[in-house]
Amino acid sequence: MANATIDVVKPGLETSVQELPGRIGYWEQGFPPSGPMDIWSFRLANLLVGNPPETAALECQFLGPELVFQAPVRVAITGADMMPMVDGGQVDLWTTLQLEAGQRLTLGPARTGARAYVAISGGIDAVPVLGSRATFHMAGIGGIDGHAIKTGQSIPIGQAGNGPQHGTRIAPAARPAINGERHWTIEVVAGPNDDWIDAAGKARFLEADWTLTAKSDRTGFRLSGPAWSFSPLATQKRPEHGRDPSNILDHGYPFGAVNLAGQTPIILVNDGPSTGGFINPYTVITAAFWKLAQSRPGDIYRFAALTVEEAQQRRRQLDRHCTPASLVTA
Amino acid sequence: MVGQWRPFPGSHDGSLGYITSHVAVLGEQRGTGDMIFDKPEFRPGGDRNILVYLGDEMSFDLNFLVHSYAAAIREARLDGVVELIPELASLLVSYDPERIAYNDLIRELVAIRASIGAIAGIELPSRLFYVPVLYFDPWTQACVDDYRARIAEKEPDADFLVSLNGLADRRQLVRVHSGTEYWVAALGFWPGLGSFLPLDPRCRLTAPKYDPPRTWTPKGTVGIGGAITCIYPDRTPGGYQIFAISPMPIWDPSQRLAAFRDSLALFKPGDRVRFIPIDREEHDYISGKVDDGTYKHPDVGFQCFSIDAYHGWVDTLDPTERF
Repeated sequence: MANATIDVVKPGLETSVQELPGRIGYWEQGFPPSGPMDIWSFRLANLLVGNPPETAALECQFLGPELVFQAPVRVAITGADMMPMVDGGQVDLWTTLQLEAGQRLTLGPARTGARAYVAISGGIDAVPVLGSRATFHMAGIGGIDGHAIKTGQSIPIGQAGNGPQHGTRIAPAARPAINGERHWTIEVVAGPNDDWIDAAGKARFLEADWTLTAKSDRTGFRLSGPAWSFSPLATQKRPEHGRDPSNILDHGYPFGAVNLAGQTPIILVNDGPSTGGFINPYTVITAAFWKLAQSRPGDIYRFAALTVEEAQQRRRQLDRHCTPASLVTA
Repeated sequence: MVGQWRPFPGSHDGSLGYITSHVAVLGEQRGTGDMIFDKPEFRPGGDRNILVYLGDEMSFDLNFLVHSYAAAIREARLDGVVELIPELASLLVSYDPERIAYNDLIRELVAIRASIGAIAGIELPSRLFYVPVLYFDPWTQACVDDYRARIAEKEPDADFLVSLNGLADRRQLVRVHSGTEYWVAALGFWPGLGSFLPLDPRCRLTAPKYDPPRTWTPKGTVGIGGAITCIYPDRTPGGYQIFAISPMPIWDPSQRLAAFRDSLALFKPGDRVRFIPIDREEHDYISGKVDDGTYKHPDVGFQCFSIDAYHGWVDTLDPTERF
C-alpha cells in the first residue's frame, strides 16, 4: 500500500519540514543544525497527535499553507495564530483534531506570533539527509526536495500509532504566551566576546530597546538600536583579527550568538552560519528561542543577562512543559 | 506586516563578510609561539556551547594545535560533548548540559589540553585531495568584469595578486599557487567552504578583500583573502580575489556522485588540498563527466601528518625563494 500523503494546495510563505534535534554532527563542515525555531510549540504539537515530541512536522512562517489530507489523520496546530480552518470552519489551536481523508486544512496570515506548527500523526516521512529531515532551504538540504514545500507536492506521512482523542488540549499554563504583545524580554548569557565591548557598550545593550528589522529570517535576526562602543581588546588587537573593531580571527559561532557585524547586531538562529570573523558579545539562550520565533518585524527586544546555570535551568523549566502531562483530555 | 516579510537567502550582508573577513596576513608560518596560550581561555556561548581560545595569532602551528586538541577531545569520548568546530585559533564545543555540567566540562577540557602539552611529536590522520583547476578562466573573469561594471572599479584580480605579491607575471602566480599542499584549517559559514593555509612557506600569497563584497561568485571559483585560499562550493556572495575555477564539485546536496556518499561536503578540517593546473579542454571534459553523473573524483591519499617531519622540512627551505 502506498504511503498516505498530504497534498499541498497552497504552500504559504515559507513552510518547511523541521525535526528535532536537527542536523547534528556536520557543523564542522558548515552544516547548521536547522530544526524548528520554537521548540516549545513544536513539541506540544507532536504530543497532541501522539508522536514523540521530536517528530518531523511543518513550520509555517507568517502565512500558512492550505493542505488536503489523503488519509484519516490526527492533526494539531500550535504557535502563531494563523486562524486555522478545516473545510471552511474555524478550529482551535493547541487541540487534537481528528480529520477524515479528503479534509482540507487552511491557515491564513499570522494574527499573533509569526510561526505556526502543524503536526500530523505518524509524522512527515521525508528522507533524512545527513541524519535529519530538518530543512536547510538556503542550501537545498533535507525536508521535501531540500526546500520549502511547493504547490502540487504530495508530502508522505508515516504510520501512526494510537494517540490522544479528538478535542484533547494543552493546559493553558503549559503553553507559550503568544498573545500579540510586541515587547519581549530576551534572555542572554554574556560571552563569548563581551570583553571586547566597553562598560558603556554593555550597559547600552542591556538597557536599550532593540527593534527587530524586516531583514530577518531563519539564518539571522537583524536588530536596530544604539551604537556599540568597544574595549581595547577590539581596538588594539593583532592585525590578523582585521581592521574593524568587530572583526576577530575566524571562530565558531554559537547557536543564538548576537553577532556584531560593524555596528549591526544579528542574532544567529537555526540556519545561521557556523563560523566567521565577527565577534559575538552575547548569546541568546535556548529557552528564549521561542520568543524570537514568535516575534515580528517592528517588535521590541529588551535583553536580560543570566548566568550559564540560570540559562540551563530555564531550558529545564521549558522542557517540563513538553511532556504528555500537559495534555488535558476533553 | 506579512507583506514586509521576505526570506533573504544569501543576503546576510554583515556576516556574509565572513568570506571577506580574513584581512589578516599570515606573519610567521611557525608562529611566534608567544601567542599560543599555556592554558586555554574558556568563554560561554549561551547554555550549550563553549568557545575555547588556544592562542591569539594566525599560524599553522596554532591551528595544528587546535586540531590536535579536537582529536584528543574526540578520543576522550566525554559523555555530553555533542559537536566540535575547530577554527583557526579556537574550538567551539557544543554540549548537552543534562549530561555534563559547564564546570565539569571545563575541568575535563583543561585536563585534555594539559595532556597534549606542546605539539611536538603529534601526528594526525590527514587526507590529501587533488583538485583540478583552470586558472584565468572565462567565468571568474566575467564575474570580475561584472563587478567592475556594476559595483566598483578595481584592478583585475589576477594582476592585482601578481603585483601585490611581487610576482613576475600570471604564469608565476600559477606556479606559486599550485606549488604547495594546503592545510584545511577550518570549514564553515557555507557547507563545505574551507579555509586553506599553504604548507610551503614559499607559496604564501596575500590579498585584501573586496570592498564592498561581491553579490555573486561562480560555483567552484578559487579565491584568496588575507593569507587564505578557498574554493566557493556554490554560487554565493564573496569577497576574496578570484582567478581560477575548478570543475570538480566539492559539495553536492543531491549526493549524485560517489564521492558524496558519506557527506554532502568533500573536505573535513585537517585534510590537505593540492591544486592541479588543467587546460580548457580538460576542464570541459571533467564538466561533461560531472554533468552526466559519471565523474570520479581523483583518488584520495590517506596519510598521517607529522608536525615534526613538517618542521624539519620547512627548516631546509629558503622562505624568500619563489618558484
